[in-house]
Amino acid sequence: MMKFAEEILSKIPSVTYADVRVVDQTSEDIATKDGVVEALQSSESVGYNVRILKDGVWGFAASHDMTPDGVDQTIKKALAITSASLLHKTTDVALDDTKPSTGSYKTPIEEDPFGVSIEEKIALLTAADKAQRVSDKIVVSQANYQANREKKYFVATNGSRIDQEITWTGAGIETSAVEGSEFQNRSYPNSFRGQNQTRGFELVRELNLLENAPRIGKEAVDLLSADICPTGEFDLILDGNQLALQIHESCGHAVELDRVLGYEASYAGTSFLTPEKLFNFKYGSDIVNLTADATIPGGLGTFGYDDEGTPAQRTYLIKEGKFQDYITSRDTVTKLHDINSQYNKQSNGTVRASSWSRLPMIRMTNINLEPGGEEGTGKGPTLAELIADTEYGIFMSTNRSWSIDDKRYNFQFGTEIAWEIKNGKKGRMLKNPTYQGITPEFWNSCDAICGRPEWTVWGTPNCGKGQPSQVMYTGHGASPARFKKIKVGVVKW
Amino acid sequence: MVGKIKLKQIADSVLKLSTADQTEVILSVSENSLTRFANNEIHQNMAWKDLGISLRVVIEKKVGVSTGNKFDEKSLKELVDRALELARVQSPDPEFQSLPEPEEIPHVKDEVVFATEEELAAGAYTVIKKAQDAGLIASGAYANDVSELAIANSLGVFAYHAGSSCNLSTIVLGKTSSGFAADVARVAGDINSEKVAETAVSKTLESENPAGIEPGEYEVILEPQAVSEMMAFFQWYGPNARIYHEKSSCLSDQMGKQVFGKNVTLIDDPFHELVFPMPFDFEGYPKKKLTIVENGVLKQIVYDSYYAKKYKVENTGHALPAPNTLGPIPLHMYIAPGDKTREEMIKSVKRGLLVTRLWYVRVLNPKALNVTGMTRDGTFLIENGKIVRPVKNLRFNQSIPKALNNVVSIENKLTQLASFEGELIGLAPTMHISKWEFSSGTLF
Repeated sequence: MMKFAEEILSKIPSVTYADVRVVDQTSEDIATKDGVVEALQSSESVGYNVRILKDGVWGFAASHDMTPDGVDQTIKKALAITSASLLHKTTDVALDDTKPSTGSYKTPIEEDPFGVSIEEKIALLTAADKAQRVSDKIVVSQANYQANREKKYFVATNGSRIDQEITWTGAGIETSAVEGSEFQNRSYPNSFRGQNQTRGFELVRELNLLENAPRIGKEAVDLLSADICPTGEFDLILDGNQLALQIHESCGHAVELDRVLGYEASYAGTSFLTPEKLFNFKYGSDIVNLTADATIPGGLGTFGYDDEGTPAQRTYLIKEGKFQDYITSRDTVTKLHDINSQYNKQSNGTVRASSWSRLPMIRMTNINLEPGGEEGTGKGPTLAELIADTEYGIFMSTNRSWSIDDKRYNFQFGTEIAWEIKNGKKGRMLKNPTYQGITPEFWNSCDAICGRPEWTVWGTPNCGKGQPSQVMYTGHGASPARFKKIKVGVVKW
Repeated sequence: MVGKIKLKQIADSVLKLSTADQTEVILSVSENSLTRFANNEIHQNMAWKDLGISLRVVIEKKVGVSTGNKFDEKSLKELVDRALELARVQSPDPEFQSLPEPEEIPHVKDEVVFATEEELAAGAYTVIKKAQDAGLIASGAYANDVSELAIANSLGVFAYHAGSSCNLSTIVLGKTSSGFAADVARVAGDINSEKVAETAVSKTLESENPAGIEPGEYEVILEPQAVSEMMAFFQWYGPNARIYHEKSSCLSDQMGKQVFGKNVTLIDDPFHELVFPMPFDFEGYPKKKLTIVENGVLKQIVYDSYYAKKYKVENTGHALPAPNTLGPIPLHMYIAPGDKTREEMIKSVKRGLLVTRLWYVRVLNPKALNVTGMTRDGTFLIENGKIVRPVKNLRFNQSIPKALNNVVSIENKLTQLASFEGELIGLAPTMHISKWEFSSGTLF
């Protein structure tokens, strides 16, 4: 395939810059419902794209047609598109000075998920599915597994030549319980497709789905008769799996430089983290350190190189509460150089495309809340210590709903389950928990973050962005953390 | 374009390769162009094409699905073998009966027109120029999608349809405001880019310097885009046979009962003159016009072959591609128009809000079908029948069934809409709803 990529590149006439990506994606999905396999699918999609920068404008064309004629047509289309863009050009696209890269990367895995027999996977899932049915109030029990492999071959006219093989795997279980008009859900280890990481089948085995299934089933049933989450301003402890999505929505999207510069305004919106805030805006409290790190072992946003050939990196976005950086690409970072003379960095390597048919764009890698107890963040308590240190509060776990405005200020999250904390003790279970806030106020109220032993890189495999829409897999390292005086129980039903 | 004859040849050759009891082939051809603009210039301009194949095989009630996009003999053989292997290794699904038998497919005439790069760039430039002239910043996308869908199965089904669509949408930004507008049509020449530009620019100028407003319960006028965004999750979680029979739908056990106000009628019509027609579902089963809710009474939910056979009712032709864990969905649903003009509806509001559109709508509880989300791109206070000023955006938490029980009036016409964040509602009227719960405000 690398040879094919080079052949395509060699056919592109002289332009300012061009790159070619050939991508072969395979996946395997199993879903069970009520102990029976509901979906069993094996998928493959192969294709390529050419991205051409000519006369200061981009052109992009992609095709599944790998014949010589198909390649010629695709290049011709990309060139025709640059000509059309040129008709109404106002500024020139400029790329940064990132050096060309040559290399290979392969996700380190212990057990190839595609090598494990389908029978074994089905047996594991159906057993975990059935083990959730601890009551006749459970109307649906489900289990899911997915494995994905993406082979990418990248060549560019600047001399970059990279091949990568990214593998990611995930699994989870889910129970729905109904009694009259009451409906409750529980998931493990996370909602919306479970836990996902760039690892092999060892992840699925470590999740112990079967062992956790009866507890999840019981919690769904117990929620039916649990008290409704109280309304008020309370101390809020978020479990790592919920905090991961909080980071994703209120930090990860907000620091995408293309959004900030208005390039996503037509769809997902812009960001309140405008360039004049760089280096001086107090995004969070002093213990808040947020990073973009594509180098973490197992993170769903971990890779060797991004889709522009920039090596994977670790970048501080927020350091000790202060806004430090964006996630960037080669053509947006040059615009930031023009806007903010203090900013002189090159792309920090966050550009990815969801398939061969999509344009590469800035995507979250692993956006993490660094664990407490490290790098000047004070003590990193355990969750038990954090609860013991809370006089009155609500502990929420596992996302159920999420929504945020188009500048990433006003958010509202709901979780599947919560518990009341009274006098340092975890007490009654609470149903229908929700909380609401404004992003910088929320992060400035963070007064404790649990330490590394409880820090996990959660996978978010369903991040949507761009037109046409691209669904990307991203990671978020988080441990439980506490936030002071948050509006809780904002919706009653 | 690959064409009906060639796609049938491919389908037949794959069906021949399969040794399963039953086999289904879906061939999907897509040729797409999209010109995206922001900051008053084109910044992403692209085209892509693909031919995909999805194969479903059934062996003794055991189902396997494989997909691919390679069509040489070896690859197709591997595709079939993968599906057969997946089917063989699992236990039978006792609820599975059969793939659909062939039925007569209604004939629909649909134009297939490719837009040129120049046409798309020119449409984008019309919006850019209007925004620039008003001192504003335009962003948006102009897309042209051409698709062919062919479905065949070993029981004799063969269904083919080709169509095209164009969609121009924009969000124009001012210093303190934004405005949304869009147009959809089969042919680029029918897209009114001037009107899209004028509407978005006007909205942006009218919503400049919004003031905060106390959250709480308000009357609302929801414009068509907002209605579409409100109804999107109802479409997924409401009249869906899987969810209905799991008792997880707000409509569960309500057949024949008054579920919404008497002025609400919901129709699913894949042949409506303003929608992009689809004569069959993803199992090649014919579609027809259905009334889901009539004068507020639940009349019908939608089925595919699996759930129709499971619950011994008529298949309504609402299958999604296999494997489908979501259940059957009405892809052409709309709220029937009422008898008021938009202006009459605004005039009848004592104190309420005019909402251009909603954003980031998510379900809090699928059974209650209460949702949260934000207003976006133009929200206005109405007092004594007049729009008096723009307001900052608000978060809402609202039960959709309650909203549909509090409909004051419905506009007398339907507006064509394009999917923005996955909504599949292609037509919607403006709606006046007497109670809508806003829970907090944002800073802009």
